[in-house]
Amino acid sequence: MAAVAITHLSDLTPPSLERTWLTAPHPTLPIVATCSSDKTIRVYSLTNFRLLSTITGGHKRSVRTCAWKPHVQGESVLATGSFDATVGIWRRWDSYGRGGESGAEDWGLNSRNDKAGEDGEVGNDDVDDEDEEEWRFAVLLDGHDSEVKSVSWSPSGMLLATCSRDKSIWIWEDLDDGDNNFETVAVMQEHAGDVKSVAWHPVEECLASASYDDTIRLWREDIDDWGQVACLKGHEGTVWCIDWEGVENVPYSQPASASLAEQWKTSHALSGPRLISCSDDRTIRLWQKQPKEQQQQQLNMPSIIRPTGTDEIWTEEGVLPSAHDLSIYAVAWSKRTGLLASVGADGRIVVYQEQFANEQQDSPAGEAMDTTDDSTASPSPLQTGWNVIATFDGAHSIYEINHVAWAKRADRGREEGKEEEVLVTTADDGSIKVWTLGL
Amino acid sequence: MASEIQNSNPTILNAADLPTRLRPGAPRKSGAYGTGIFTSALPSATNANDPFASCLYLSETSDSEDELMEEPIDEQEIYDLISTISDPEHPISLGALAVVSLPDISIKPSLPNVPESPLRTVTVLITPTITHCSLATVIGLGVRVRLEQSLPPRFRVDVRIKEGTHSTADEVNKQLADKERVAAALENGTLMGVIAKMLETCQ
Repeated sequence: MAAVAITHLSDLTPPSLERTWLTAPHPTLPIVATCSSDKTIRVYSLTNFRLLSTITGGHKRSVRTCAWKPHVQGESVLATGSFDATVGIWRRWDSYGRGGESGAEDWGLNSRNDKAGEDGEVGNDDVDDEDEEEWRFAVLLDGHDSEVKSVSWSPSGMLLATCSRDKSIWIWEDLDDGDNNFETVAVMQEHAGDVKSVAWHPVEECLASASYDDTIRLWREDIDDWGQVACLKGHEGTVWCIDWEGVENVPYSQPASASLAEQWKTSHALSGPRLISCSDDRTIRLWQKQPKEQQQQQLNMPSIIRPTGTDEIWTEEGVLPSAHDLSIYAVAWSKRTGLLASVGADGRIVVYQEQFANEQQDSPAGEAMDTTDDSTASPSPLQTGWNVIATFDGAHSIYEINHVAWAKRADRGREEGKEEEVLVTTADDGSIKVWTLGL
Repeated sequence: MASEIQNSNPTILNAADLPTRLRPGAPRKSGAYGTGIFTSALPSATNANDPFASCLYLSETSDSEDELMEEPIDEQEIYDLISTISDPEHPISLGALAVVSLPDISIKPSLPNVPESPLRTVTVLITPTITHCSLATVIGLGVRVRLEQSLPPRFRVDVRIKEGTHSTADEVNKQLADKERVAAALENGTLMGVIAKMLETCQ
């Protein structure tokens, strides 16, 4: 595919006046939550790009991270992690007695109120309504010794993983008992440095973590103990962020090579989704699990009878084309398009695409990464490479970009009947920008 | 922080030996004021109590300040910002202790491949007074905080221990380069108390 343009669609306004760290798109609603150094979380609409509400009063220091719980009906549940070493759980009814579908409109409605834009307060004409519209502080998860850096919900939403500068990862089970009770399931302390990021496998209960100790580790439950199943070494600096490939992902191919895509899918089914990581060493690396047929059979069994020795062998599939001049703080692998985006201290947004190697002739030389297969000498038709298809310098003018995320496009400018994606970037000056890709 | 002084007898440089922009520029400046157009036209300007003279003086400085704003920030300016920071152990400046020195400061474009980018990386190599000084991290943090607070945001601050001058330099460097750790440190009251004390002597 030829190069594409990254176009600025809108800012999310009004912004925080202090550094913002991360913006998390809601799994179903057209809203995002942004974490700020001003100790608050701002919720914005992706429909009109305005502030909907501000969550305050829960954290005593910078809010570093947040994540929406998936598969919650009629309610939005947000987990927030702060430098104050605690994790907050917040709840808000999506719609009060108006049926599930109106949830999205409800968010839009609130934002029409100008007061909401100013300071995040919703209209206080009806006290009962206001109570129901507000974010309800549910519970504070206390356990970490120092700054919480990242939080992530398991695909089912049952488990919450949190990590900290204290080098530990905690797994909490949401008991969903109506009383906001969480139970500590595991505390893993194998990392030798701050744990910067945690991310769950898209479908399995397998957790990946990235650390200041330059490693990435994978964790699974074995009988009833959580333990490390792999330690991935390759980065030469702090690993800032990791993300998983979507389960259905297939590298880009010409329409004519649908059979190639099918072959690729079959060959990758055994190894499962890959993992992408970015680092202070200014590289982005791709990791793949070595397929083990035996292991695959075990995985199909209920986890309770999985034998010990669940160690997995992961290999570095390659390094993506170098496109950043300073630390890379975040990568996001689109679950819809398979495109990959990265941002960092150089203020640049880069978008990469994976495609089959034999279709890459028209791509500029030197930019592509070949994921050479060690086991076969002859080039396989399934061999893929990564190309930089778009870059944007100074995306937040002179400021560092801390985070990037893909979200479903929801504004009026989108094409009817077509599912489009936008990029949401979060920067040091508090600005959050929404971008489209001109594919 | 440390209960015992780690280096009780550090080498201290004479203030006159420290690099400054003023000395080479001073003769020219005094010449301009001494024999320039203002002195000849307004002899009373030499009288410091003359309100008109002080008025002239003020307009003169504000002009030169404007020039400074347009002037690119150079190594000497970085040095001036950080050399007056006090050592956490001694009431002596980092400049006098030669913890920071002019030749160990450099300013380079952050994105060499993007010529139009205004981003600049300021690299400061610090030389701890003794090779095992556990306060190296605090000193480095003080330098980083001072520069981040004083420089425009287009500057990326890179503070590192000078090679071969510290036993755990890599560890200290990694910590000083970690944006998240530095941000968290700025919210740590105890640590910021120490840093604030070090920066008291600036300006």
